[in-house]
Amino acid sequence: MKQSFVFSGSGGQGIMSAGITLAQAAIDMGKHATYLPEYGPEQRGGSAKCTVVISDESIVSPLPKLCDNLIVMNEQAYAKFVWDVKDGGILLMNSCRITDPEDLPEGATVISAPVDDLALEVGNAKAANIILIGILIGATDVVSEEAFRLSLNEKFKDKKPGILEMNLNALEKGIEIGKKYKK
Amino acid sequence: MGEKKFMKGNEAIAEAAVRGGCRFFAGYPITPQNEIPEYLSWRLPEVGGSYVQGESEIASVNMVYGAAAMGTRAMTSSSGPGISLKAEGISYLAAAMLPALIVNISRGGPGLGSIQPAQSDYLQATKALGHGGFHAMVFAPNSAQEAVDIVYDAWEYAERDRNPVLVLMDGCLGNIMEEVELPPMKELKDEDLPEWSLSRRNGRDYQGNITPIYTELILEGLNAAAGEMYKAWEEDDVKVEEFMTEDAEYVVVAYGIASRVAKEAIINLREQGFKVGMIRPITLFPFPKANIKNLDYSRVKGIIDIEMTIPAQMREDIELQVLGRCPVYEYGRSGGVLLDDEGVYEAIYEIVSGGEIDG
Repeated sequence: MKQSFVFSGSGGQGIMSAGITLAQAAIDMGKHATYLPEYGPEQRGGSAKCTVVISDESIVSPLPKLCDNLIVMNEQAYAKFVWDVKDGGILLMNSCRITDPEDLPEGATVISAPVDDLALEVGNAKAANIILIGILIGATDVVSEEAFRLSLNEKFKDKKPGILEMNLNALEKGIEIGKKYKK
Repeated sequence: MGEKKFMKGNEAIAEAAVRGGCRFFAGYPITPQNEIPEYLSWRLPEVGGSYVQGESEIASVNMVYGAAAMGTRAMTSSSGPGISLKAEGISYLAAAMLPALIVNISRGGPGLGSIQPAQSDYLQATKALGHGGFHAMVFAPNSAQEAVDIVYDAWEYAERDRNPVLVLMDGCLGNIMEEVELPPMKELKDEDLPEWSLSRRNGRDYQGNITPIYTELILEGLNAAAGEMYKAWEEDDVKVEEFMTEDAEYVVVAYGIASRVAKEAIINLREQGFKVGMIRPITLFPFPKANIKNLDYSRVKGIIDIEMTIPAQMREDIELQVLGRCPVYEYGRSGGVLLDDEGVYEAIYEIVSGGEIDG
């Protein structure tokens, strides 16, 4: 089973960290993964995109154009990549920034979630990446809930108290949304 | 063997260099290779090595010359525009017969080009890495793991030949994160220092000099010896992967990142019944001439050169082996636009299904 993910938005939206975190979780579960970041010369505010391929077999090409799961976090990313999701794939949109999408690919499952607001609800805009991953975990079988919780525990065990809880909350919120779209 | 890690290609190269014995790095920042110097800036001091961010590319490559003269395993890295600036120093390394590792994480060109990945430095790497008609062995890995394996052993070739070695990768492979298995640290001792190195020529035992300057007849002799060395590489050191070429009617030739995208396409085309295979040069110099020359041209209907640059640069090396026995086609993206699975599949499909694209 091979699945591809494209995360897109602008610098500072947690695009790259969502991609790395998902790929790392897959590897921790014994799967294979590649993560390819693409960005402009700007440090913040420029376009940010990363492509993650996760597979049970070793990965031949890390460069799919069409992906199984497309995550668009703002209008620009929507305009640029919306047609790059495969038929039968998932299009996950940040409804806080993409308020009135003109046109959507018919063959894709569209998940429109207020990712920015949800992140603020759990306490920090930076939790957006974990919410995204939660939604994807809920809607697909890419990595197991339990394994991802464990990797969050590992990642945040030495951080200030509260950070781990915040991320676990973000994960739960995401999973809850994602599960509604599980096939 | 070693430990498995999820690493960026650039960082994997840097760690493999340290484990392969590198103890000196000098360089100057340029995207998309910055993770190499960034990593080595903290990693080299941990193992007693030295890291210098030079004031320029030219200064950096000449610091590598100095360190190499002492017998220290030394390297520099850059991307196309910076490699051009280092060309003089690389030529001097070859002249002084000094081993060193040069890494080019290439991007779009010419000129400043783009910071995005491209395979636009093939000709520079294989034909004229600097003035004066010298060559370096050029390795073109297609994964973080293969880059680790090659960089780990780069100084074995460089010291054997007393000649710089080039590793050519594009920014895509430099920035991709994938699993790598890291080899153990090579423990080099003082007695491993090369015989000719200045470290061995202290005080009264001082025997001579490391120099890039020779009288005419000596220089001519060294040129001829270098020529013999290049021939020996062709005999002994060609590295190449063949994939499903046994019965192939169309053979893709691709290296580095392009070879991975092409392989994915070939696997899919095989499922559709198309007999496509691939020859992947791992050494670009020496070029795997025999693999292309000795194909059965009563069966092979076409060669497809796929590169992430326009126009294709490897094509002339391919055509010199095909010698008109079948058509040579090319497909690529360029300027920092990446090849992708769908585009490469379509391009190969067009050719093998009888459609014509510009040949």
